[in-house]
Amino acid sequence: MAARAETVPAWQRGKVTSWLVTTDHKRIGILYIWTSLVFLLISGLMAILFRIQLSQANSDFLSPQRYNELITFHGTSMVFLVGVPILAGFANYLVPLMIGAPDMAFPRLNALSYWMFFLGGAVLLLSFFAKGGAAQAGWTAYPPLSTQAPGHGQDLWILSLHILTVSSIAGAINFIVTIHNLRTSGMTWTRMPLFVWSIAIFGWLLVAILPVLSAGLTMLLLDRGVKIGPWSIETHFFDAAQGGAPVLYQHAFWFFGHPEVYVIVLPAFGIISEILPVFSRKPVFGYKAIAASTVAIGFFSMLVWAHHMFTVGLPLSLQAYFMIASMVIAVPTGMKVFNWLATLWRGNLSFDTPMLYALGFLSLFVIGGLTGIYLAAFPIDWQLHDSYFVVAHFHYTLFGGVVFAIFAGLFYWWPKMFGRRLDERLGKVQFWLLFIGFNLAFFPQHLLGLGGMPRRIYTYSNESWEGYNMVSTAGSWIMGVAVLLFLVNVIRTWQSGARVGNDPWQADTLEWYTTSPPPPHNFDDVPYVTSARPLYDLRRKLREQRGDREPA
Amino acid sequence: MRARLVVSVLLLLPVALLAAPVALADGGGLAPVTPESPNAGGIRDSYLFVSIFVVGIFLLVEGLLIAFIVKYRRQKRDRFEDGAPIHGSSKLELAWTAFPVVILFLVGAFVFWKLPVITDTPTAEAGDRLEIRVTGQQFYWQFEYPNGVIAIDHMRAPAGVPVLLKVTAPDDDVIHSWWIPALGGKIDAIPGKVNETWFEAENVGTYKGQCAELCGLEHAAMTAEVEVMPQAEFATWLDTRRADQTAGSVVLGQEMWEGVCAKCHGLEGQGGIGRKIAGSATLKSPQALETLVRNGIRTMPAVGADWTSEQIDALVSYLEENAP
Repeated sequence: MAARAETVPAWQRGKVTSWLVTTDHKRIGILYIWTSLVFLLISGLMAILFRIQLSQANSDFLSPQRYNELITFHGTSMVFLVGVPILAGFANYLVPLMIGAPDMAFPRLNALSYWMFFLGGAVLLLSFFAKGGAAQAGWTAYPPLSTQAPGHGQDLWILSLHILTVSSIAGAINFIVTIHNLRTSGMTWTRMPLFVWSIAIFGWLLVAILPVLSAGLTMLLLDRGVKIGPWSIETHFFDAAQGGAPVLYQHAFWFFGHPEVYVIVLPAFGIISEILPVFSRKPVFGYKAIAASTVAIGFFSMLVWAHHMFTVGLPLSLQAYFMIASMVIAVPTGMKVFNWLATLWRGNLSFDTPMLYALGFLSLFVIGGLTGIYLAAFPIDWQLHDSYFVVAHFHYTLFGGVVFAIFAGLFYWWPKMFGRRLDERLGKVQFWLLFIGFNLAFFPQHLLGLGGMPRRIYTYSNESWEGYNMVSTAGSWIMGVAVLLFLVNVIRTWQSGARVGNDPWQADTLEWYTTSPPPPHNFDDVPYVTSARPLYDLRRKLREQRGDREPA
Repeated sequence: MRARLVVSVLLLLPVALLAAPVALADGGGLAPVTPESPNAGGIRDSYLFVSIFVVGIFLLVEGLLIAFIVKYRRQKRDRFEDGAPIHGSSKLELAWTAFPVVILFLVGAFVFWKLPVITDTPTAEAGDRLEIRVTGQQFYWQFEYPNGVIAIDHMRAPAGVPVLLKVTAPDDDVIHSWWIPALGGKIDAIPGKVNETWFEAENVGTYKGQCAELCGLEHAAMTAEVEVMPQAEFATWLDTRRADQTAGSVVLGQEMWEGVCAKCHGLEGQGGIGRKIAGSATLKSPQALETLVRNGIRTMPAVGADWTSEQIDALVSYLEENAP
């Protein structure tokens, strides 16, 4: 490796340039995470703006156009620029370390994935300056609303998603190849960390579903009309006046869109499956069941898409099928929850910040899972669909679930990535603020939805909705403060965080075997893996050797 | 000590969460709004049935979580002392795979048992049932009765009579969704597709709702209400309205002004999303007005592309007297 460093031209060794040209999976992972965190801040700030708009009836804080732009950006960004890439960042950083590999299978493709993600995000952000403003048709971009939208915001939205799709597919293929081929000696499929399992399914799912999204987006683009030089194309896939079918797009979108939720949720599950055992000082309960349920959830997630379309007037037999299929997913998901609970059982629990977030995840994700049962039952969904109940439901899964898992992961792996631990006291205060703020912001939204408030309305005149909305807005501010505290924590840790060594949590997986932060080539040597907890085995062996030497 | 604090916060939080907003408002609840039609009733019953299990599982999981947090916390043990070396239990895992299957089976069975109440329009009185065509357009609801009477945003219906709604949107419009919570679930109004739903309200009253599918800038203004009236009163209304409409109804014209034009241009034509139109000559020129509403202009959609000549006349005659 030293020899290779000498061949790197001088200009590539600068403080900034070395990051621009890097193909090191760890640096790319960190780039992914930082970029996603910036988008998290931007889209979170937008949410705070439209929560202010909604805090009172008949408010005119935001214009309807601005409101629609903000909700569209918020949704699109949280899925494509925060959820998927931040988990891809964790995966980039961790998968090679966890399987004892020196890097990803295709380091340069990996860099391309990141820079495509960066470009896609920039296009989406800059679309606010387009003629006619940013896209306003929601993150789902249903035609004909999206095909009829004037200006170029919607075109740039499509362009951005096309770029992000290419980025994700390249990344997904890289993860699949890495996991299938670069596992260290002894690491069979049943000894692989559960986070790596979740990334394998993440990869396979993305490869299966993204082409369908690309097809839908391309049809959307062609319906809007494309003009290149002397050629122009305008199709009518979704234009009823010309014999097209608007609902067709929804099938394409949700065939991608529902598994996409699991693309985000499964790695979050993976993070939780890594953290709970370490802070319980126990092996994860039912390793094989958790791995198998990851595969099952991934597979079934591709068979349930039309539960997002129960109100379009599908035949009852189809709705019945999609209800049953959606309920089937609840079984492996429930299995995971009980397995995690059982991991705590008879453990030796420490409540460091990563553990607090993991437990917060568990308590909140359950609520999101349970409200999903109502939505899977199609007649009940006819009442709840597109209401604030749905908004509450998916924020319990994606924020209460995924974002809590992301914070758990950040606090847990920060010492590995940067050699310093984030401040525990600030972390704990942040956790409680986020937990309380989150519940204040989103629990009342269930009640609003049941009371008849549809989502995506920029204002309302029904004053009886004001109370819950005000509480929800106040909750969003508390969440904002919590995220600011995290930034403070990052800066303070940067300057004076405690250096805590290579393995501060006494964890079980291979990434803790190397130094913090790891050298460019990751490992000088990798121990032969004989179980799913290689470091636990190693520690036990060392204890036994020491015990042998000590007199009785 | 700390654990006790954590537990009490965890326990108090849901209580505070529920109590604070409930004290502040009555704009929502723990179940769908009070049903006024059998289909809405069937949905609410299904919701309540599912809630039994949802609340049960919620209490079980959160209860176990809190209990484990308290019971198995470290206390005086060494930080890195191993917990019990338990790798799993096939029996337990089988149990908590089977247990949700049973619950989901029960939920599914209940929903299918209730389904006929929710989906089937009562057929016994097929002769008496009323069919209304509901068209969602940017940004208003248009209702057409069998005798050709047209109404905007405000539907009138007889009590105790099944009302069948044929819900759609014009070919060149966007998707909307019809939703009056007290009268049942939603159904999308989709260009090129006619969907059906129904209600049968026993009680006289006005039930409110609004479009539930993002349809553009004034999506939030696309409200609807259903006024359920005694049957005789409804019959009189329908006949009077028919006669008015033939005579160039100012009543319909006013509904159109308020429901269609004013959503964007303001009740006084003062402007809003759309430009200020008070004093505009177009409002007084039937020809120019018809061209405008039938074709739209720039960002203004063709709100009246499918209007009948009676509708155009109604708007014209309303504006003759009342144009701002």
